[in-house]
Parts: sequence; structure tokens; C-alpha cells
Amino acid sequence: MIKLKNNITLIVFLKELKDMFRDKKTILIGVLIPIIIFPLMFFVIGKSMQTNNNKVENNLKISLVDNSNSSFGSYLRKQKNLKIVDSKNPDQDLKDGKIFLSIEIPDNFDDNITKEISASINLEYDNSSQQSSTAEGIVSSYLDSFSKEIVTNRLSKRSIDTSLLTPTVLKLKTVEKVDNGIGKMLLSIMLPLLLIVYSVSGPLPAATDLGAGEKERGTLEPLLTTQAGRMSLLWGKFLAITTLGLISTIASMIGMYIAITQKGGLFSSTTGGAGFSIGGTTIIMIGIVTILFTMAFGALELAISIFARSFKEAQTYLSPLIIIAIIPAYGTYMLDAKNIDAFYFSIPIANGVCLIKEFISGIYNYYHMAITFGWLLAYIVISIMLATYMFNREEVIFRT
Amino acid sequence: MFIYFGGGRMIEVTELSKVFKKITAVDNISFKVESGEILGLIGENGAGKTTTLRMLATMLRASSGTAKIEGYDINKEAYKVRGKIGILFGGEVGLYDRLTARENIRYFAELNGMSKEEISTSIDYLVKILEMEEYVDRRVGKFSRGMKQKVAIARSIVHNPTVMLFDEPTAGLDVTAARIVQDFIIKCKEKNNSIIFSSHSMQEVERICDRLVIIHKGKILEEGTVDYLKDKYQSSDMEEIFMKLVGDKIEK
Repeated sequence: MIKLKNNITLIVFLKELKDMFRDKKTILIGVLIPIIIFPLMFFVIGKSMQTNNNKVENNLKISLVDNSNSSFGSYLRKQKNLKIVDSKNPDQDLKDGKIFLSIEIPDNFDDNITKEISASINLEYDNSSQQSSTAEGIVSSYLDSFSKEIVTNRLSKRSIDTSLLTPTVLKLKTVEKVDNGIGKMLLSIMLPLLLIVYSVSGPLPAATDLGAGEKERGTLEPLLTTQAGRMSLLWGKFLAITTLGLISTIASMIGMYIAITQKGGLFSSTTGGAGFSIGGTTIIMIGIVTILFTMAFGALELAISIFARSFKEAQTYLSPLIIIAIIPAYGTYMLDAKNIDAFYFSIPIANGVCLIKEFISGIYNYYHMAITFGWLLAYIVISIMLATYMFNREEVIFRT
Repeated sequence: MFIYFGGGRMIEVTELSKVFKKITAVDNISFKVESGEILGLIGENGAGKTTTLRMLATMLRASSGTAKIEGYDINKEAYKVRGKIGILFGGEVGLYDRLTARENIRYFAELNGMSKEEISTSIDYLVKILEMEEYVDRRVGKFSRGMKQKVAIARSIVHNPTVMLFDEPTAGLDVTAARIVQDFIIKCKEKNNSIIFSSHSMQEVERICDRLVIIHKGKILEEGTVDYLKDKYQSSDMEEIFMKLVGDKIEK
């Protein structure tokens, strides 16, 4: 009898997978889009950021009013990336984006330098423009260098060692390689959120189709007249939904990996492309958390889908789940993995986010793991019980 | 050896009731269907026909009373009952569009616990008698209603049931598709199956059924052969008899 039940579960599972994978939409939404979307998104963002920076760094258009032909004016004119624009109305040109900033050097600038009193420079920029802000940073750094040169000359004239100005020197040493550390930090912020979103959204299409969809198409009633037990049918469907959810999550992970390692993308500016890696144990542990979350959400979504009268109604009930799941995930995604309080591991969804963060940082806190895995198993059991309850209720199954 | 449509015995319904919250959908009904007999279950929408068939098919649990299908109790031996019945629905026949006709039929055979050999023999046989050779390995999504109805028929009998339940199987079908179903019901009768056929069409039940049960608001109003009812109510028109019975009940 048990053998027959298992066989039925397997028959239903295999049939559902075959049915779903013959649907082009499933492959498109569940596999192709998750693989393509992140590399594409981060490539476009990275490229536009690079283009933006290059535009400012290599073609910095400024307006310069320097009637006294000052030393700083000459210094600026020597900079190859600066393009001095003759502007009749600098304020308007700045607003219109024709120039990135406007500099006015007062006539007494060099006199003040010679007299060793503070010499001011007027710099106007558009603080609502990213390009103008970047230009301001570049010109400020030129002014810093120019000022340091002056100070060095003044001290030299007085025969004073310039090292007087730098009594302490900070030598930075990092736990991780610099690239690796930035990569891990970015990953510990983005990956948990992404995994939670995909744990919810991955099983959604399958759950909608195998619950409410089956009701709407009229395929559920004939199914219930067969010798297959309801629990076997439910388990077969549940496993198919979880599998599809996992495939979708794995596809998104592959997409994320490509996005991180691709050259010319957003991460290449910070990590230099494939600048870091995650160990096998970390991947396995993250995988277990993801599988458990996908199972819990899969069962919950199936229960809701069975309850719904139609495909549309199921979509209405299920869509808010993503938002509900994102709230606790967002609430914790900026937490520092090395200082997470224990109570976070008892908050649904937030606990998974925190645990994945710890894994990425190489932390394996058994207490946190025990609490989180305990809760995750409880979510799965409760969700499956709810789905079972729904599937055994006549008024739910025949609710049309 | 796998034999089709073999040796149906009987359906025995005893004081069967179904209550949904406060609504009594089926109210203490009793009837019998012998081997090789077609019982017509007629009534308006919401009369309790589908609920009765769903209880007999063990999809719904009876609130009280019981029924025996070939001696198996629907309340206590649901698993065995499901092995004895085949059910065909009207309207949307409920096929998986992305599976082929063969895969649809095989899926239901597998769920009924048949072996690979039995499935293969039975599908080959059904494909032949229902003339589905041309399209059995095509996905059913683009099939006509008639083709779909044939696949649904094959699916309902693939496990060799001896009791057949038809829930308005010709609803929404064109003449050709409806004729396929009617021919199939007559074949089931010839093979000695016990059959319950629910329908709205008086002409159809008059032509096919041996005996009729007229049901209204979950209760049986009248039962008997077509001739008996015509004689009793002094009318040759079954629709008139039905309206008289149901109309009387509404007035009361």
C-alpha cells in the first residue's frame, strides 16, 4: 500500500513536471528571465555609470572667470581632462547642463597667496546633478593638490621638514582581500533578499496552475475519481511546485553569478569582475536554507491556490505574498552579518536573511542555525498541514 | 487477459443525503440500478443530480445514508468503489492540453494502479474502438470538442469499470460529438454495465434510458420506466410530465 502511494506521488510529480515544462511561459518566466535579467540589469547600470563617469572625468566642461590670470587658473588650464568653456551666463549654462561647474578666481588670489593669507575661490555646481557633483569632487582634489604644493614650498623656504604635516600614517590591512571584502559585503546585502524573493515568486506560477488552474480547467474532478489517494496527489503536486521554485531560484542565482563576474557590469568597478568567491560549504548551507524556504512557500501557495475559485482569484490572493515576504527581508538586509542579535532569528523570513548573511561572512553560529532551521521546519509543517486541510475540504475543492 | 466493459452488477442507493452547511442538496434518496440498465437522473439545475453522482464517485462524503457499488460501500470502501466506477463529465471535459491524448489516458490508468502491460493493451484497444489512431499522439490543446470527448471517454473506461456515471455528458456538444457519447453509453449497456445518466434533455433520456428518476430539490419526485410514467400521467410528452411534477412541487 505504501509502495503504491509512493508510486502515485512519483507519477503525479513526473506528470506535473512534464506538463509544466511543455509550457513555454514556464521556461521563459521560471528559467530564462531569471538567468538573463540580472546580468542585463547590472550590465546596463554599470555601463551607464561608467559612461557617466568617463564623460565627466575625460571631458570636464567648466566655466572659468580668472581676470588676473592667477596661478591656480594656470594650474587648471594645464589639466588635460578639463575643458574651459567660454560662458556668457555661467549660472544658466550650469542649470542647463552645458557646463558641470563654474569657477571664479578673485583678482587678489595670487596676492593673498604671496602674503600667506587665505585666498578664496568661488565654485558653483549643481548639487542635483550627478555629473556636476562628480566634477566638483575632481576640481576640489585639484585644489587640494595645489594647496599642498604651496604649503610644501612655504615650509621648504623655512627649512622645515614637510613630514611635520603628517605626524601619523595609517597603514590599512584588511581581513579579506579588498576586492573580496567589497564583493562579500555587496553579496551579503543583495543575495539574501534575492533568494527570499525567488523562494516566494519561484513556486508561484506552478502553485497557481496546479491548484486553482486545475479546478478551473475541470481536471481536478476526474483526478479525484481515480484510485489515487488525495494525499498522494497533493504530495506529487507539492514536490513539482517546489522543484519548479528551486529551478527558478537556481536560475536567478546563475544570473546573479554572471552579473557579478561579468566585465563591464556594475560590480566590475568595485570587484574587478570575478574578484571574489564563495566556498562550497557556504553554497550548500545557503542552498539548504533556500530549499526549505521554497518548500514552505510552495506549500503555502498551493494551499491558497486550492482555496481560490479560479486562476484569477488565486493570483489576487498570491500576489501580495511577495510584498509580505519582502518587508521583513528589507528590514534586515542592511544588518552587519557579524553583529546580529539572536531575536532576529525568530522573526519569520528575517531569520533566513540573517542566516544567509552569516554564511556569506563565513559565520556558522550553531545556536542561530538551530533556531532558524527549527522555525523553517515548523513553517513547512504548518504550510503542508494547511494545504492538506484545504485539499481534504469538500467545500474548498468544489468551491466554484 | 484484460477485458473491457465486463460484468457490471448494480448500484444500490439507500437513504442517501448530503447537507452543505444549512442547505440539503440531496434528501434521503433511494434507488437501484441493475446490470445492463441505464437509469436516467433528471432534474433542474441545483436539483441534486451532480451531488448524488459525486457521492457515488466518492468525491463527496455522504451526510447520512449510503450506497453500494458492486457491493462496496461508498463510505467505508471508497478506494475499492473508485476502481469500479468510470465517470464522464459534460461541459469542459477536463483534459491536460499540453499532454497528448495517449499521455492523458495513460496518466489516469497509472493513477488507477494499472501495470504497464495492462495500460498498453487497454490504450491500444481504446484507440482502435474510438478511432483515435490519427491523433492519439498529438497534444489535446487544439482538438475539436468531439475529439476531446473521445479522449475523455477513453480516460473514463481505461481501468475497465463496471459502473458508469454520466454527468450531463452531452451538455454543450454539437450533434456529432453528442452522438459519439450516446453511442458509447449504449455500448456500455450492451456490455452489461450499470449506468446512471443525468441530463436536462427529455428527448435524450427518453431515447436512451430504461428507467427514470425525477429529482427536485434533493428529493425523488417520481421513479419508473418511460412507459409507466406516460401511462400514469396520461401524457406522451415527457417534458410535460416533468413540468407537471416539478411545477406541482413549486406551487406546493
